[in-house]
Amino acid sequence: MLVKRAVAGLMILAGVLTLGYVGISSYIAEELVYEAPKAIVKTPASLGLRFADITFPSRGDRINLKGWLIPGVLPDGRLTADRVIVVVHGTRTNRESPGDHLLELTAALARHGFGVLSFDMRGMGESPPAPLSMGTLEQRDVLGAVDFLRNAPPPFPELGRPRIIGGLGISMGAATMLLAASQEPAIAAVVSDSAYAEVVPLLEREIAKRSIAPIGRVPGGFAPGALVMARLLYGVDFFAARPVAGVARIAPRPLLLIHGTADDYVPMANFRQLDSAATSVPGAHVTTWIVPNARHAQAFKKTGTEYVTRVVAFFDAALGAAA
Amino acid sequence: MRSLRTAQPLLVLIALVAILVGLTVIAREISARAGFLVERPIVLLVWLGGLLIAGAVFAWVVRRSMRRDASRSGLLLRALTALALASPLALILLQHPAP
Repeated sequence: MLVKRAVAGLMILAGVLTLGYVGISSYIAEELVYEAPKAIVKTPASLGLRFADITFPSRGDRINLKGWLIPGVLPDGRLTADRVIVVVHGTRTNRESPGDHLLELTAALARHGFGVLSFDMRGMGESPPAPLSMGTLEQRDVLGAVDFLRNAPPPFPELGRPRIIGGLGISMGAATMLLAASQEPAIAAVVSDSAYAEVVPLLEREIAKRSIAPIGRVPGGFAPGALVMARLLYGVDFFAARPVAGVARIAPRPLLLIHGTADDYVPMANFRQLDSAATSVPGAHVTTWIVPNARHAQAFKKTGTEYVTRVVAFFDAALGAAA
Repeated sequence: MRSLRTAQPLLVLIALVAILVGLTVIAREISARAGFLVERPIVLLVWLGGLLIAGAVFAWVVRRSMRRDASRSGLLLRALTALALASPLALILLQHPAP
């Protein structure tokens, strides 16, 4: 009788705990895969640049993404699309990304003779709603941008198609760019600013900072459950968002890794992991720039001209001079 | 036949999990056609609703099984079923958050 009661108690306890754990994890997963898009306020025209609104499909799943193509401006004032940089914003923002002055960085690249394709990743800005996957699905958006540059009718027909394509990403955009470049050789050089080596440890830490109405702060133990539920319910595999696994495949193409020493969102350990993985193969061409006292994705905001000088010099060396 | 009855809670648990996951995947595939903003709440509703219904069905099956079968092997199998039921909690051990 006692054993029977013990087994019944065990069953009830297991049922209640599991239902609670799975239910709360599912709710967190649902929150994790969605962020309301932020409106775009400024365009490149506000910085005196010509641009074309573009729409292109992501590679594979063909989600129609919105973006801008900004021709580069040569020293004599002529426009060029000879070298085009695909610029990828971070998470929970858009191609304007005022938090890290991305539009200003985009404009600076254009003024140095680089065409820029800047776009909203799926689920962000003006692109259609889609689950947020921290790079796993979004890498298809970057690959779609490359396909657009190589195959679609050019938005500025008089400038023709780009001769060569580079990539620049910030934060999640950097991680996404690394994932895309590791499988797309047409991306001839990559600047990665504040990328994570793998996203799961960051999400586990962030989930534990969240608060849910009835239970208050979420205990960290729910984090793995939420990540598994995101996969089960929405097909979002956060475990696959691991640029560190593929970054070595970018070699021998040039790679510039930038990271701020005061980054408390993506700790410096991520930079070291990426650097170590990227340089682990023969022929790797990796340059690093550690920015003192720069917080997450704030290197451009903090250093301004120096950032532009370094990035422009990197792309000039990697992509050649503009025609 | 008797062993099948003894293992009934475990078999029902496995079947419920399979049905629930299958229904959720179907709900995702269908609702995704209407866009992610529709897919997101529908998938969660189907999953959580299904979870509650599955919980109720499982509780009923276990209660019936306990009334009908008080054998030693039955108790042992139910204890194993409880462990299987609690297995998702092992995910807690997998966390390795960033500093």
